[in-house]
Amino acid sequence: MNLPNYFLADLPPEATLSPALLGEACLTLKRNREQYLAARSTDQLVRILCEVAREWLRAESPFRRLALTEGPAMTGFPRTTLERGLNHFFQQFTRENFHALLAQDLGDPRCLDGLCPSANEAGCSRSAMAVGPEFLVHVTAGNLPNPTLMSMTLGLLTRSAQFVKCASGASFLPRLFAHSIYDADRKLGACLELAEWRGGQAALEEVLFAEADCITGTGSDETLAAIRARLPLNTRFLGYGHRVSFGFVAGEVLRDGSSRKVVEAAAEDVVAWNQLGCLSPHVIYVQSGGVVSPEQFAESLAEELEKREAAEPRGELSVASGATIAARRGIYEVRAAHSPETRLWQSKGSTAWTVVFEADPRFQASCLHRFVYVKPAKDLTEVLHNADAVRGKISTVGLAAAEDKAAELARQLARWGVTRVCPLGRMQNPPLTWRHDGRPSLGDLVTWMDWEKS
Amino acid sequence: MTSELSHFAARLRTLIADRDWSPVAAPQRGSDGSNLLGVFPVQFPATGDDPHSDAPFNSLALELFALHFEHNAACRKFSEARGVTPRLVSHWSQIPAVPAAAFKELDLTCLPPARRARVFHSSGTTKHRPGRHFHNEESLGVYEASLWSWFKPHVLSDLRSTAADWEPALLVPPPEQAPHSSLVHMFETVRREVGAPPTAFLGSMANDGSWSVNLEAAHRLLQDACHEARPLVLLGAAFSFVHLLDYLAGHGARLQLPAGSRVMETGGYKGRSRSLPKAELHRLITERLGIPSSRIVCEYGMSELSSQAYDRLVGPAGDSPPHPEPPVCNADFRVGACAGWKTGVTDRRCLAGATSSESPDPDNRRFHFPPWARVQVISPETGGEVAEGETGLIRVFDLANVFSVMAIQTEDLGIRRGDGFELIGRAELSEPRGCSLMAV
Repeated sequence: MNLPNYFLADLPPEATLSPALLGEACLTLKRNREQYLAARSTDQLVRILCEVAREWLRAESPFRRLALTEGPAMTGFPRTTLERGLNHFFQQFTRENFHALLAQDLGDPRCLDGLCPSANEAGCSRSAMAVGPEFLVHVTAGNLPNPTLMSMTLGLLTRSAQFVKCASGASFLPRLFAHSIYDADRKLGACLELAEWRGGQAALEEVLFAEADCITGTGSDETLAAIRARLPLNTRFLGYGHRVSFGFVAGEVLRDGSSRKVVEAAAEDVVAWNQLGCLSPHVIYVQSGGVVSPEQFAESLAEELEKREAAEPRGELSVASGATIAARRGIYEVRAAHSPETRLWQSKGSTAWTVVFEADPRFQASCLHRFVYVKPAKDLTEVLHNADAVRGKISTVGLAAAEDKAAELARQLARWGVTRVCPLGRMQNPPLTWRHDGRPSLGDLVTWMDWEKS
Repeated sequence: MTSELSHFAARLRTLIADRDWSPVAAPQRGSDGSNLLGVFPVQFPATGDDPHSDAPFNSLALELFALHFEHNAACRKFSEARGVTPRLVSHWSQIPAVPAAAFKELDLTCLPPARRARVFHSSGTTKHRPGRHFHNEESLGVYEASLWSWFKPHVLSDLRSTAADWEPALLVPPPEQAPHSSLVHMFETVRREVGAPPTAFLGSMANDGSWSVNLEAAHRLLQDACHEARPLVLLGAAFSFVHLLDYLAGHGARLQLPAGSRVMETGGYKGRSRSLPKAELHRLITERLGIPSSRIVCEYGMSELSSQAYDRLVGPAGDSPPHPEPPVCNADFRVGACAGWKTGVTDRRCLAGATSSESPDPDNRRFHFPPWARVQVISPETGGEVAEGETGLIRVFDLANVFSVMAIQTEDLGIRRGDGFELIGRAELSEPRGCSLMAV
């Protein structure tokens, strides 16, 4: 399939973007939005989004095929990883899920369409309507495509003209997604623009920042601070900084024959998107005292990762990333040779996967690409004590615990500052209604018009 | 317990020091008129038979590995965990390479505590535990023989090796202020060998361990050298040169140091100064000091080793006027390793951009260790040597590490070029503990 040259990101790499060109693009987007998008209904938009998702899930879809054939070279993710990640993502696009999201974030699924009655307050009858930003700009990080696709989806629901500024080398899948929207409804596609450049090109970014009503940014704290510092006072900024995640396996789930399933779930979280997202675990904490010891768990996890590698190979890495893994393995090899408190399992003849068991319970950031730590813990309290260095930076905790104990553990995690707890094995697969870093993603985009009728 | 090691050290020292390691064939001329490496003798020790034979080196290497296996407990445990014993090794390349980072965690030494007279640290920062390379008088003797025997033909080959009509300028603190720096010890050895006074040290160390250059004194020395037409041999870390060049720029000073002057610079920046791409640093040296790029030598060394590599040699034909456009050397290796500093800070772009095709001149800026060391460039994936022109991790087998460990796996990336390498930079965040969240 040949994609038409429609978006700025379709231009050949030698084409240079100028501030004037971007300025024009912004005006066109706003005009198109006024004409083609502002008056659409939520139902209509949800229908189109579900159609687009169905297309992506269809084996013969040209977009899907392009994503899977060229994706490995363009994104660095192997075909199986892309397949699994995209399936998980687009399977969420159902009418019910969108309604649940609208209801959760806005109260009434219709309030982007018009005035909806608010709960009556004493002496005042009130209606309200949610209004999306006229022009929404996304500055996206390069690691995973899903957050960018989700941002674009939410922007469509809020009827915003959107400009997606992709990190260099990260526009491939967002571009395909945009084309699939364009294919489903050209007028909607006309309200989207994508471009790719290395961050920090002030002249280009100034144009976007001056035109935008609202900007979402993902990336390192430094990147976000730099964007925020350059925004006009009245421009809203939704920054999603980097987060880390971990797993916790309670001892009781390792007491019966179910431990194999828990190991598989942990491997799933390490393999998903090659562990590169904020929702991927760096460490799996395993409660001591179960029938399976944390060290045995680590060994089983290594076996499982070896199996997964055979079926879904991690793919090639840059020499620099490979060298980082090799250098880290070297350190743990030295430690393991000198102390039983460290053990190392690793793929042979490649850096495809690595499991490090360390008795030291302190949280340890992994170098990712399927490199995971397994650490023992007496209980969740001890885990949280040892993760203090990353408190406030945790996105997700993947939990494997008995049903009757899970709720109490979740409460403990919430009080400590974790914003998402999910079953181990589903860490990289949040629902459409997921509150990104604990905030309502859709709700944060809109402003409200309150009408006090009497 | 270490009489065999002492014997080995004495023998090695003689083998190194009793011979002139200057090029045996005329240096090759680079396209910019500079001298690239000449043809050095490669056989070590020289037996007079086939000069390309690896066998004499191999036999010393196997002997030393057996000694380390016996006397260095940390080395033995590491090798045993790999399932390697001296009996199983027939070639030096099979000797297990210990990660350089292990010097931070283990006493990688054959010296019992009472005999550890000196220690060189790998890092100047207090944030991380530094690597520690222990020495005694004998091992320092080997270190000194090794460094001087390879420094001299690269940096001083066309000068008399005693400083009479030229002068060294050492942009580092004097040894009494920085006793744990292997780089300072190296420069002190050079100073003693050439008979220069201790005032050649132009740096000092602050209480927080940071290094600075006495800029006024250095400026005066440069001016005097110009007036008296006395060539200077400037030795220092890249960041010290940046401090000096910034100072000169601030004073509007542009000097033309006398013909025969030269620079040896080493290492990265580590936030001690603004970082400059290597080519930019060399351009500024040419601009401010009048030293052409053909007379700027880069050194690659580290406290965990006792031998160093150089990327070119300053020879008699190098007195060409400053080249208007100094040749661009390998993209941006702002994290060249250097004696005494392990930086751990790497610009990912410089690594990502490090492909062999981007190197403008494969003959240029190629580092070579002396014949008593071997280098391999190792694929992080397979653990085997990469093919010619490919990038991997630098591994050094250094016979001069008599009392510590011979095979060292560095975290530095290089491109394999013949029996040498081009330096790229350092693998990121290899030290797990305390690494930043920015890894995600």
